[in-house]
Amino acid sequence: MFRRWWWVAAGLVLAAGSPVLGQRGDGRGVRHAALGPCDALHDRGKAIEAAACYRGVLEVADPAAQAEAYWMLGDLKAANDWFREAIKLEPEDPDLRVRWGYLYIDSHQQVEAGDLFQEALALDENHVPAHLGMATVLASRFEGKAAELAQEALKRKPDQAEGYLLLGRMALEEGDLAAAREQLEQGLEQALNLGLAPLEAYALLASLEMLEGERDNRWVDKALAYNPRYGEVYAEQAHFYVITRRYREATERLRKAVAVAPSLWQAHAELGVNLMREGIDDEGRRHLEIAYEGDPYSAKTVNTLRLLDTYDQFDTFEDRGPGADAAVRAVFRLDKDESQLLLPYVRELTNRAIDEFTRKYGFELKSPVRVEFYPNHDDFAVRTMAMPGIGLLGVTFGYVVAMDSPSGREPGGFHWGTTLWHELAHVFTLESTDHLVPRWYSEGISMYEEWMADVRWGESVGPEYVEAVRKRELLPIVKLDRGFIRPKHAGQVAISYMQAGFVCKFIAQRWGEGKLVELLRGFAAKVPTGANIEAVLDISPEDFDEQFDDYMRDALGPALDGLPRWRRHLKAALESAREGDWDGAVEPAEAAKAAYPQHVGSGSAYVLLANAHDKAGNREAAVAELQEYERRGGRQPETLKKLAGWLEEAGRDAEAVYTYNGLIYNWPQDEELHARLGDLHLEAGRADLARREFEAVLALDPLDRATAEYNLARAYVKIGDLASARLHVLQALERAPTFGPALQLLLQVKR
Amino acid sequence: MTRLATRRVLLVACVLPLWVGLSRGAPAATHFLLVEGLGGERRYAESFREQISGMLAAVRRTAGDEALVTVLAGTDATAGRIESAFGALAGRVSPGDALAVFLIGHGSHDGGGYKFNIPGPDVTGAQLKLWLDAVPAARQLVVSTTSSSGGALDTLKGAQRVVITATKNGREKNATVFGEYFAEAFAATEADTNKNDSISALEAFQYAESKVKAHYADHQRLATEHPQLQGERAESFMLARLGDAAALAEDPSTRELLDRREGLELKIADLTARKDELSQSEFLKELEALLLEMAEIQRQIAGEQAGSGEERQ
Repeated sequence: MFRRWWWVAAGLVLAAGSPVLGQRGDGRGVRHAALGPCDALHDRGKAIEAAACYRGVLEVADPAAQAEAYWMLGDLKAANDWFREAIKLEPEDPDLRVRWGYLYIDSHQQVEAGDLFQEALALDENHVPAHLGMATVLASRFEGKAAELAQEALKRKPDQAEGYLLLGRMALEEGDLAAAREQLEQGLEQALNLGLAPLEAYALLASLEMLEGERDNRWVDKALAYNPRYGEVYAEQAHFYVITRRYREATERLRKAVAVAPSLWQAHAELGVNLMREGIDDEGRRHLEIAYEGDPYSAKTVNTLRLLDTYDQFDTFEDRGPGADAAVRAVFRLDKDESQLLLPYVRELTNRAIDEFTRKYGFELKSPVRVEFYPNHDDFAVRTMAMPGIGLLGVTFGYVVAMDSPSGREPGGFHWGTTLWHELAHVFTLESTDHLVPRWYSEGISMYEEWMADVRWGESVGPEYVEAVRKRELLPIVKLDRGFIRPKHAGQVAISYMQAGFVCKFIAQRWGEGKLVELLRGFAAKVPTGANIEAVLDISPEDFDEQFDDYMRDALGPALDGLPRWRRHLKAALESAREGDWDGAVEPAEAAKAAYPQHVGSGSAYVLLANAHDKAGNREAAVAELQEYERRGGRQPETLKKLAGWLEEAGRDAEAVYTYNGLIYNWPQDEELHARLGDLHLEAGRADLARREFEAVLALDPLDRATAEYNLARAYVKIGDLASARLHVLQALERAPTFGPALQLLLQVKR
Repeated sequence: MTRLATRRVLLVACVLPLWVGLSRGAPAATHFLLVEGLGGERRYAESFREQISGMLAAVRRTAGDEALVTVLAGTDATAGRIESAFGALAGRVSPGDALAVFLIGHGSHDGGGYKFNIPGPDVTGAQLKLWLDAVPAARQLVVSTTSSSGGALDTLKGAQRVVITATKNGREKNATVFGEYFAEAFAATEADTNKNDSISALEAFQYAESKVKAHYADHQRLATEHPQLQGERAESFMLARLGDAAALAEDPSTRELLDRREGLELKIADLTARKDELSQSEFLKELEALLLEMAEIQRQIAGEQAGSGEERQ
């Protein structure tokens, strides 16, 4: 399950292994007639005979035929060269460009494929295979426009199989099984009528019936009867298990795929990545290496192998539950450079989440949770999607949680605590339902749990969401999954996350938190969203939507129609502040705050007001503004540190500790933060917590290590562990032999 | 910063007054040479002047002898005057002395190597090496805070020489911030990581290095300078004394105690150097014994200080 969305280009979210294109009908571009007999052998699994046949085609004096033959023989480079030659000879032939585009799809280069389809359309805007090619590229990125293009292609040329199969595939990906069946059955009928191999239709129908509950169904049998080496039928099923987050089942299918077709490199790659999702790295590496040997063009395979090579840079820690004989319940993989700093906080939060969610959702984990932090965002991206450059912050694959480390992000740009909490909630919603929970509900629960964990956590309501509520653009509850899987516009994923979170909050407030658990059980029993809502909440989905809309409008309060006022007043306040007229900034900032009190992002009115009050000498009012900023989820570390400092100056130590503590989950790389917190804990007699903070200072490799060691020694004295105190004070004095306070402490703890 | 487009003559340009006295520590004396190069733009000129001024105040206190400190700035910072200054040092520095040279300003690097930008012809890395080699001081410290200064690392390296540069090579050509932080370290208690109320070259470097790193992180910019330290025992160059340390060093009543303290510090340094040869418990036991002795000396020094304070009242 995916955390965060706003940097994600719509559609990237579910970029799981793209399926194998088995169909080579005219719908995907006209091919040379000499290939037909070879294709027939190939489609029947007669690999040796087919290879001999394709080698024969290499003698044909037609570059396009040679390109196709090389392609089928697995020499993609030669195929590419021959397509280039073919286009030199026939530059106006759109079919050639479409075929070349499919070669690029086969070599995992969707962008180049898209360019070729566009070139074909430039040559002939009515070229159906080019339209379908574009639809295929867009569908692989889960873009909503794909269906439109496929339908357009079918309208222009109804007697084809490919368009129906593509629409069927997309319907399957959206979980619309009835629509999928209709399209796939038409696709099969067309394939049979046109004398094409029906393998792709069989594979998709096998996936459909698998999603309906029958894994080894008649379509699997038909596909293997037609071609006993057709591992794609299992790989296709695995694809749909992956996108519905059922990784264990996907692994089982992929094992079958490579058993039937040992040279199905993409299945090996998917199996390798999937095994890693389950935490089975060694076996995963073996399959990735096999995949690389056969298909060195896959960036996914190469990136994942490179990531595996970096794992010796990580430390692994195991945590057991309470009790002497307790089993391992959490495993942490942290970069060696930061494991000492992060482990205590990650461990504490993980255990707190496990305890909390076990109690709340009545589900005991059956495997240890594995938590991985990646300081290099691209490593995390490869870990999750096997492709660098994506904008996600955290992902959960069942029992495995992988996320960015705070050190991989800018201060204030990433709250690792709320992200980890969100992901750990997914572990419970996924595992307690055997991964049958719909995407919207799992995300909704995770969003809701963030808000419940700490008033400062979770996402604050952004202007886009307010606008979506105001314009009544939220999706009906029964269609909310579409906002995640095939969003209509770039912002819809983010809006859907927020909506899902508020839906869960609404249910908890209106019907009680217990209903959230009941709904989860309904999903585990395969009850669809509408029926589940009706059964558990005793309300129709339509009425639910209506009541949720009322709730949401109440919850947003003045912000609902306040955004224009907010923008106007905030602009005036910022202009006054820029000119140094802080008194003049107060009135518009107050008005901006009243119009949209939830806003704590850049240029927050609370921060402006705090500065204005401070400049006017009213520190108490300044503190109050920043405390409200913090309470509403404001995250700028420097602003919050300023608040904590002011609270300390005012002698409000307990409140300062609260603010400093919050910062740990936001930007733990701050040496001063841990030092201040350590001092405050020590002064208040919380020596154990002081020790943890001073150890964090040391983990940050401070310039002034002597003071850090000395502080840690002080904490150990208070704990009563004089041996440790002696060790650390000696370590302080080893660096700074004339350090007065440390010498004094040594006199106390000497042997 | 590749090369300054305009070369301005600085208004403040003089050889500053010298201070006579002896510095404590292993070398018989530490000679300081500070050179302020061209600023080009006013903001840089002002910054370089501030840096030189702060460093000068500190090294004067440290040297305790005006004759040990030479400053060249503005129109006086020409190649000829720099060469003369080195010539004078070559004549009066003893082999047992130490030499510390600070080059503040802009630098450049081309196919011919590193150049320190000053009025008139620039000084090259090769010239600097020649002049430094001619000074008989066994221990030498050269600090160049300029852009491209890392391009001089190879040229200037020497067996008994510590070289500190603002950049890792000649290709880091943007104006640097390292100099500001290096100068700041001379008066920063935060830089005094061994808590002995004085700032060594190593401490100043480490302080400046960490500040440079934080500077680029805070400004969310890719770092265009990566400070370097080449050579050994940078900690043995004392650049500045903090608080009462300078007065204490000159007070005859504490002289013997300070000598004893220094002896103990050396013993602790020796013990630390042998750390790997000892078990942890042996090491800690020996260290503790020395430190308890240190605690007693510090108590006596504090007593003397308190007594002196009362007498002054």
